[in-house]
Amino acid sequence: MNTNLARLAVGETGRITAIGSTGAMKRRLMDMGLLPGAEVLVEKVAPLGDPIEVRVRSYYLSLRKKEAEGIMVEVKS
Amino acid sequence: MTAAPKLRTSAAADPPGDARAITVAVAGNPNSGKSTLINAIAGTRLQVGNWPGVTVEKKEASFEHAGRHIRLVDLPGTYSLSPYSQEEIVARDYLAHERPDVIVNVVDATNLERNLYLTVQLLELGIPVVMALNIHDEAEAKGYRIDVRRIEERLGIRVVPTSATKKKGLEQLLEAMVGTALARGARKPVDLSYGPDLDAAVRDVARELVARHPQLVDRYPLRWLALKVLEDDERVSAETSLDRDAFAAATLEHLRTAHGEDLEALLAEARYALAAGLAREVLQKPELQKIELTERIDRIVLNRFLGIPIFLATMWIVFKLTFDLSSPFGEWIQGMTSGPFKRWAATLLGGVGAPGWTVSLVNDGIISGVGFVLVFVPVIFAMMFFITLLEGSGYMARAAFVMDKAMHAVGLHGKSFIPMVLGFGCNVPGVYATRTLENQRDKVLTALLVPLMSCGARLPVYVVFVGAFFPQNPGTVIWSLYVIGIVLALVMGVVFKRTLFRGDAPAFIMELPPYRMPSFRSLCLHTWEKGKHFLTKAGTYILAVSVIVWFLLHLPWGVESKKDSYLGKAGQVMAPALAPLGFGTWEAASSLITGVIAKEIVVGTMGEIYAPAPEHAEEAPTLGEDLKEIVTSFGAAVGESVGNVVSTVGISSLSFEEKEDHSALKGALRGAFTPLTAFGFMVFVLLYMPCVVVAIAMRQEFGGWKWFGVAFAYQTALAWVAALLVHEGGRLLGLGG
Ligand SMILES: Nc1nc2c(ncn2[C@@H]2O[C@H](COP(=O)(O)OP(=O)(O)O)[C@@H](O)[C@H]2O)c(=O)[nH]1
Repeated sequence: MNTNLARLAVGETGRITAIGSTGAMKRRLMDMGLLPGAEVLVEKVAPLGDPIEVRVRSYYLSLRKKEAEGIMVEVKS
Repeated sequence: MTAAPKLRTSAAADPPGDARAITVAVAGNPNSGKSTLINAIAGTRLQVGNWPGVTVEKKEASFEHAGRHIRLVDLPGTYSLSPYSQEEIVARDYLAHERPDVIVNVVDATNLERNLYLTVQLLELGIPVVMALNIHDEAEAKGYRIDVRRIEERLGIRVVPTSATKKKGLEQLLEAMVGTALARGARKPVDLSYGPDLDAAVRDVARELVARHPQLVDRYPLRWLALKVLEDDERVSAETSLDRDAFAAATLEHLRTAHGEDLEALLAEARYALAAGLAREVLQKPELQKIELTERIDRIVLNRFLGIPIFLATMWIVFKLTFDLSSPFGEWIQGMTSGPFKRWAATLLGGVGAPGWTVSLVNDGIISGVGFVLVFVPVIFAMMFFITLLEGSGYMARAAFVMDKAMHAVGLHGKSFIPMVLGFGCNVPGVYATRTLENQRDKVLTALLVPLMSCGARLPVYVVFVGAFFPQNPGTVIWSLYVIGIVLALVMGVVFKRTLFRGDAPAFIMELPPYRMPSFRSLCLHTWEKGKHFLTKAGTYILAVSVIVWFLLHLPWGVESKKDSYLGKAGQVMAPALAPLGFGTWEAASSLITGVIAKEIVVGTMGEIYAPAPEHAEEAPTLGEDLKEIVTSFGAAVGESVGNVVSTVGISSLSFEEKEDHSALKGALRGAFTPLTAFGFMVFVLLYMPCVVVAIAMRQEFGGWKWFGVAFAYQTALAWVAALLVHEGGRLLGLGG
C-alpha cells in the first residue's frame, strides 16, 4: 500500500519510494538518509501531536508531519 | 587510462611558512563527540572566534607535537557538505579552498552508516583523511565488532579507535595525523566507485574541465569539482558560472535516460549506498540486541502524558540552578568592586595628588562599569554550563521535540523555549542561549522576543511603584506585567512571522542523539571559553556606556540641580514624546535614559532625582564637596542597583521584598504619578529598548548592530503604544488620568 510517512501509525514501517519536496529541504532529507529504498519505522508522536520520531539507518530522527507528508512510502507488513 | 582526475597536493596550493607546520581540519557529524575530542586534545589552547563573514563559531588551536607545529581547525559539525546551511558552506569552503594537510574525520562508531556518508564526501576532496572512530567504548559495550583494518583498506586511510571522554586513543590519533600529513602523496585516499555510469561521467566531466577550464582546476580539487558539476551544485555553479549541460552532453544524456533527471539525488543515493555497504561489511552487531538505554529513557521522557511535565520540571530546575547558583558569586564580585576596589583607587589617586573628579570618574564610571560586567560573569558561566549539559546529554533535542508544536504556532522552533525561559532571569543569557538553534532565522527571531520576557532587573522598578501605588495587591499587579510580556511576545512572534520573517519556516529535521554522559572536563572547558569570550567582548562596551552615563549625570562641572545636568536636559527634550502616556516629565524621561545600562538603574536615578538626600540641598557646596557628594550618592545608587540585579535574578526574590528603604522616593512618586500613569510607566519599563548588555549579546551572536537596531525600534514603539493604550483605556474606564 502506498501512502506518505505522516500517515503511518506508530510501530509501522515503510519503505521510501520517492521524496516529494524540492531544493534545500529535499537535500536535507536525503542527507539525513531519507532516500528511496530506505526503511523508516515510526517510533513516536510528540505529546502535542507533532512532530514525529522515526528510526532510519539505525538512528533516531524527528521531523514535522508537514515534512513527512512529502515522503512517499510503501507500507511494509 | 584516460585523464584520471589528478589531485593537487596541498603543498602546491599553500606552501606552509614553516616546513614543519601541519594544518589539520577536524570534521564530523554533530553528536559524534567532536567537541569532546578536540577539548581532550587541545584543552585550554583552544581559541574561539567566528568564521569570517558568518556567525558560525570557529575553534582553533596551535601546539607542538613530536617536534611538529600543529594547527588544529575545528569545522562546524555537519551531516553533509551540501551548499545549504551556513555550517556546511563554511566547512566545504574551508576544505576546498584552504586545503588542509589532513582531515581528521570524527565518526560515531555506534552510528556508522550515517557518519560514513560524510566520510564519503570528505574523500571526494582528495585530501588525506584520518578517521577517529570515536565513542568506541560505547560500541564495544554494546557488543559491536568493527573491523578497523577493513575500513582502512577499503578507504585507503588510517583509522584510529578513540574514546574522547576516556581520553583513549588520542596519542595514536596524533601520531596518525602527523604520519599521514608527512606522507602526503604517498598515501592517497581511494577514489570510491559510485557505479560504472557515474564513474564514467565523473571521468568525462573531469577531462573536459582539464581541457577547457584549466584555471578552475587550479582552484578546486578536480574530482570534487567534477562531482559538483554533475550535481549541479548551486554554489559551485555560482562561483564558476559553469553550465552543467554544456559538459559531456552525451554522458549526461545517458545518465538521465538510465537513472532519471535528478542527478543530485542519484549521487546522494550512490554515497549512501557506499556508506551502507561499508557499514554492513565492517560491522558485526550481536545477535541478541538489548533494548537500548536511550529507548527506555525515551519511553518515559517522550511519553504522551509525562513528556510535558518532565520538560517543565527540567526547565524549572535549570532555571533555578542557573540563577541561584550564580547569584552569590555575583554578590561577592559586586561587594569587592564596590567596596575595597573603590577605596583602594581613591587612596591611590589621593596619594598621587590626583584631583577629586578623577577619583569619581575612576570609581563610579570605570570601576562600577567593570563591576557591572563582572557581575554578569557568574550567570553567563552557569547558563553556559547547563545549556551545554542539556545539549551534550541529548536532552535538548527531546525538549525541542516535545515543545515544537506549541512554539511553531508562533513562528518559533522547539528549541526557542529554553532561551525564552532563561530570559525571565536575565535577558542576556537568554540571547546567548539562542545559539543552540541551528537556523539563523530561528536564532534571530527568538533573540528578538527574549527581551519581552520580564527579567530580574525590571523587578526593582515594579517593586517601588507597586509599593507606592498598589500596596493592597502587589502580587497581582507584578504578575500582570509578566503576563503582558508573554502575551506580547506571542503576538510579536506572529507579527514577525508575517513580516520580517515571511516565507517558509525552516524545516525541523533533527536527530535525537543517544543519551550520553558529557565529560565534566569538556563541559568546564566549553563554559570557560564562552565566559571568556563574553568578558573580553562585552566588557569594553559596557564600560564605555557606564562612563558616558556618568558624564551625563555630572556635567557640566559643578551642576547644581539634576535638571541642569546633560542628563536632565536630555530628559527635557524627550519629555514631550512621553506626554501622551501621562508621564511626560523630564524626571521620568531622564530616569528612563539611564535604564540603558540596566533597567533597575531607573530606580537609582529616580531616587537621586525625585528624592535627593536632604543635605544635598542645604549646603552650598564647593566643587570638591559637590563632587564628593556625587561620588558617594552615585556610588551608593549604582551599588544598590547592581545588588538588586544580582539578588533579584534568583527565583526566591520573586517574593517582592524590598531590600532598601524607598519611602522618600515613594512619597515623591505619589506626587508625580497617578496609579494609572504608574502602571503605564511600569508597562513602558517592561517593554522599551533592551539594555546595553543585551545589545552586545545580540551583536556578538548575529554580527553587526542590525538586529539590535530592530529590537530597539520595535520594542520602543511597542512600549509607547502599549503605555498609550493603558493611559487612554484607563481614562475611558474612568480610572483617572
Ligand atoms: N561514551 C562516550 N561518549 C562520548 C565520547 N565522546 C563524546 N561522548 C559524549 O557524546 C556527547 C556528545 O559529544 P560532543 O563532544 O558534545 O559532540 P559534538 O556535537 O560532536 O561536538 C557528550 O555527552 C559526550 O560526553 C566517547 O568517546 N565515548
